[in-house]
Formats: sequence, structure tokens, C-alpha cells
Amino acid sequence: MPSSQTPSIAGTAIDPTALRPPLDDAEIVRIAPSDLYAKLEALRAEGFSMLLDIGGVDYLGREPRFDVVYHLLALPTVAATVAEIGKPRRLRLLVGVPAEETVLPSAISLWPSADWAEREIYDLFGITFTGHPDLRRIQLPYDWVGHPLRKDYPLRGPGREATPRPPFALKSNVPAGTPPSGKVAAALQKQIARARGQDVPAETDGEKK
Amino acid sequence: MEMMPGQFMLGKLDDVARWAQSSSVWPLTMGLACCAIEMMSVTNSTYDIARFGSEVFRASPRQADLMIVSGRVAQKMAPIIKRLYDQMADPKWVISMGACASSGGVFDNYAIVQGVDTVVPVDVYVPGCPPTPDGLLYAVNLIQQQIRQGGRGGIFARA
Repeated sequence: MPSSQTPSIAGTAIDPTALRPPLDDAEIVRIAPSDLYAKLEALRAEGFSMLLDIGGVDYLGREPRFDVVYHLLALPTVAATVAEIGKPRRLRLLVGVPAEETVLPSAISLWPSADWAEREIYDLFGITFTGHPDLRRIQLPYDWVGHPLRKDYPLRGPGREATPRPPFALKSNVPAGTPPSGKVAAALQKQIARARGQDVPAETDGEKK
Repeated sequence: MEMMPGQFMLGKLDDVARWAQSSSVWPLTMGLACCAIEMMSVTNSTYDIARFGSEVFRASPRQADLMIVSGRVAQKMAPIIKRLYDQMADPKWVISMGACASSGGVFDNYAIVQGVDTVVPVDVYVPGCPPTPDGLLYAVNLIQQQIRQGGRGGIFARA
């Protein structure tokens, strides 16, 4: 199903429905936030008895910025044929959430399992769910500021982002693509080259006495 | 201490107390991450921490002398570790086991405390990711050594 909310930036490359074929037998449906609750209600009535999980994705730079993903499962109550036994239906419901209005209706009245899942989305993405009776943080401490799974949240935390990394943390000090130096690195490169069947480079500085 | 030609020994009371104390450093049952697997394996027959009297992992901080911080410390876990440390009776010791507990390790991010020594005072750091059980045993030995050589502990122990 083509997306009704075409991302304006970077085209469809970061739209998962365009990027990936449906996994296993799950159908992927994209829907607008205003239609969400009615759709969920309809799906619940249709037989999707389990809400497995709710996920969140931050496509920073895309419009709408967030995706909230509902993973639904319908267990057949009575199997019509033998082949149908053990073949549940799966559905993945994608909802685009704009950064200006990060509010969705809570699904907790339809599936109680939405409780912690929605708290997690609120905790890590800052998307609130109206109608949730107890929308607290669930993974981070209650007094935490910010929502760390947002792509613009500083990786090392707001307090430490300005401080320079310690000199021993070479892993992060060396810019990507810097050629390795030193005797060990030269020996390693030689080994890699040999393993790839390439000509072993002539004596490098690292190996000279 | 010196051996007398009967069935008794003479020694300073403090030395005896230190000998007893260093031979029964009881760790707190507290595993934080993968280092805890190595910590558990020091109790098995291959490494056998019972040789040093530390096999009694206590489930209550009130009965424990040694806190082994075995793994990364999440920001949310830090106040809990501090509280457990405060609940342990003096004198008490702390081993920071592995790279994560000592410095944050590879987890240079918002969620992990960059070194547990910002939360509780650490006596011995064990390097490694994870350290071998031998490394942890050596750390316990170092603490025993400290106690016997007049560090914290003995009958004059105070906070």
C-alpha cells in the first residue's frame, strides 16, 4: 500500500513502507493520527485480539517527523481448515506524528497491553497519549529531562556534550577514515591484504628499523 | 604472632581481629551486567573463592563487607547502589569490576554513569571486559592484604 503521507525530505528513501518489503506475513498499513482510534477500534472488533507492541521511530528531517508503529496479532478463534491452524494474522499500523503535535489517542481501553508500551514511547520520544491513566516515565528516572531516542538528543547527555572526550578514548577521538599508523597497524594491514589475496605492500615506515 | 611451645599462640588483639576479618570478607549479592557472570564463576570449583573465605554472598547489605560493582551502572541504578552502600555496615570495601564500572567502558552515553567512583568510594579497580575470575580473586586478595597491613578494619575500625 503506498503511503498517504509522502515524506517531503529525502523522498521515499526513509519511508519504511517504500524501503522494505513486508516482513513475514504482516500487512503494513499507514494511517493519519486523526483516523487512528477509529481504525484501532475497527481492528479490535475485527479480531486483532493482541497488541504485541508499540514502537516509535524518529525520522528527523522528515515530515511528519515520528512514526508510531502498532504491532497487532489476530489469533483465529476457530480454524476453518487444517491449514489455517497456527496461522495468525499480523498487521503493522504506521502512524505519522508531526513534531508540532506529538499527541495520539491511547489504545489502553482497547488493549490493556498498551499501558507500558505507551509509557515507553512517551519516555523515549516524548509523544503523549490522551486517555492514558498513568503516563509516567517507565525506563528513565522520573526526574529525567528530555527524550533520549529523539535523534536531536545529545548522545552523551545534555550535561556532558560540551566537555571534550578524554584523550584515552581513541575510539571517538580519531575521525572516521583516518589511516592507522604504527608498527602493529602496519602488520595488521599486511595481514588483511594477504588474506584478501592482494599484493603485500612494500615496506612501510612502521616496519623500518 | 608467635607460636608458644604449648597449644596456644600469642599476638596482638588487633592483628587477630584483622586476620579474622580479612579471612571473611563477605560480598554483597549484586550483579549488574555480564561481569556478574564472571563474578558468579569465582564461586565454582575451578576458581573457588571459598579458599579466601569470601564465598558467602550475602543477600542483605547489612551482612556484607564487600560490594562488587560487576558491570555498567545505569543512571537509574546509581542512587540504588549508593543506598545499598550506605546500608552496609562499616568497615566496608568496594571493588569496581571491569571497564564499565570503572570508566563507563564502551558506553560513553547519556544512560551510563562514567565510573562508579562518582557514586561510591572504590578500593580496587579490576581491568578487563570482562575481567577473568582470577582478576577478581586478585582484587579480593588485595583487599585482604590492605586489611592485614593496617588499612581499614581491625578492632579500631571506624567509618
